[in-house]
Amino acid sequence: MNNEALYQERLARIKKAIHLEPVDRIPVAFLGPAFAPRYMGMPLAQFCEDAEAALKVTLDAVKRLDVDAINSLVIGRFPVTLTLIWLSHIRVPGRELPRDALWQVDEREVMTPEDYDFIVEHGWQAFLNRHLPKVIDPDYLGESLAYMGANAGRGVPLFRENGYVVIATGGVSIPFEAMCGARSMSNFFFDLYRMPDRVQAAMDRALPEIIAGGIGLAKAGGAMGTWVGGWRAASAMVSPKLWNRFVWPYYLKIVEALLAENITPVLHWDQDWTRDLVRLQELPAKKCILNPDGMTDVRKFKELVGDRMAMMGDVPASLFAAGTPDDIYNYVRDLTGVFGSKGLILSSGCDVPVNAKPENVEAFVAAGREFGKVA
Amino acid sequence: MSDQLATAMADLEESTVLKLVRQRLDAGDSPMAILESCREGMIQVGKRFEACEYFVSELIMAGEIFKQSTALLSSRLKTDAIGSRGKVVIGTVKGDIHDIGKNIVVSLLKAANYDVRDLGVDVPPQKVVDAVKETGATVVGLSGLLTIAFDSMKETVAALAAAGLRPKVKVMIGGGAVSQTVQQYAGADAWGTDAQAAVSLCNQWIKEVAK
Repeated sequence: MNNEALYQERLARIKKAIHLEPVDRIPVAFLGPAFAPRYMGMPLAQFCEDAEAALKVTLDAVKRLDVDAINSLVIGRFPVTLTLIWLSHIRVPGRELPRDALWQVDEREVMTPEDYDFIVEHGWQAFLNRHLPKVIDPDYLGESLAYMGANAGRGVPLFRENGYVVIATGGVSIPFEAMCGARSMSNFFFDLYRMPDRVQAAMDRALPEIIAGGIGLAKAGGAMGTWVGGWRAASAMVSPKLWNRFVWPYYLKIVEALLAENITPVLHWDQDWTRDLVRLQELPAKKCILNPDGMTDVRKFKELVGDRMAMMGDVPASLFAAGTPDDIYNYVRDLTGVFGSKGLILSSGCDVPVNAKPENVEAFVAAGREFGKVA
Repeated sequence: MSDQLATAMADLEESTVLKLVRQRLDAGDSPMAILESCREGMIQVGKRFEACEYFVSELIMAGEIFKQSTALLSSRLKTDAIGSRGKVVIGTVKGDIHDIGKNIVVSLLKAANYDVRDLGVDVPPQKVVDAVKETGATVVGLSGLLTIAFDSMKETVAALAAAGLRPKVKVMIGGGAVSQTVQQYAGADAWGTDAQAAVSLCNQWIKEVAK
């Protein structure tokens, strides 16, 4: 089978999984931005600095593992993308860290309470223009964004030429997450108690611009889907009173806007969202993917929403790093047993971590092939 | 609950708590009694967390209100008179700079009347060993968000063993991707999914020592 035929076969399986139609074999998707270079022998400093090398090494890892798809593909310097997600300074290997160390978010209070009022008055982009130079060198950011703009659409066809599907490109999240990173978590949670109206006014003002940006990024990347991220807004982190006001309404609007543009929302949700899984019933059926990280109860998800939404996940990072191939095999066996032939794209929970044992990652793919034969 | 201050603390009424603390101080109430009211409120916060009425956002807010309250009381409290429940050494392990989860644990442990030596972030194993020797702590808390922290946790537990301290201390780990698998990998005694679990573990271990 040539690569295009292989691509079409894999794409058809993934689409069937999203639409909750039975598949002959459960598709397997990889995600491991830090693991890929480590696996292929490239220092993380080179991965962070050289976007072309990063793209190539990611494809090489996917080819070596021979999965069906990559969960999400980042084009450009990875730490710059992290900066844009977290609105925080990122410590980068080869710069502030040893050449093969993992990048880290250096979260601290940069945004101030007055910035909520600034956002209301001037908008989200105006705030970013003022905020970003505080966490990243403006020239470096400009150069990186220029590369991303010029090359964003190259990843999907490149992977397709090699027979692999890119499920998501770009990404968007609710204002909660960006503001939480920019304020730092504790301060942001204090704000939710001390100045809820100011925070909400800023969120309401920011959301349309955030949505427009997310749609633009997704279209530029050209994959079928885009990430709709969540981590600090998880059910385990925030009380229902806060969640119902500052979290869920914003997700609803983002999902609605993406679907109107025919973009599949991939709810890349780290942490534990079990308490609020039932709310996923409010989203249009067979249009979205939940992408949890191993902490959300996927059995509960299957029970509550399994007839409405697919799940991409969720082999835990801890198992890849500290477990054994047998642990991985058992996890995949149980997971495929829960979902059967409908609504599962087998993947890692969040990403395969940098220090995953290669034999565990290879066992994950092998187990997916063995237990994924469901027809 | 026994008084208005404890109730306000449990309900996370920040301005009411601080007002009541000041009022009781001005009225000549004993700082220790005021602190106990705050602690009683914090115990309720923990119970509400365990009952899934409160979540991390509430633990963080409670920790902040408690911290402000104790700041108002600190100049009038004689530290040697307080008598902590036990000593805990805690830190985010080598190679990891994330401290939010660890800081929540520290504030809850302090509110539960533990004497906490917080070593900060990116803490080398030897620093933990030295702190245990200096303080005589019987509990060590190791935090880490990233999976690269697992090896540092393991190295720290090994360093405690090499120093002959392992039989004298209980080691708990927490943060991010930590799990039962990681506990076994690192050789720790327990792991927790949240900050309140750290308090429960300490309470349980201190009781065991007391028997």
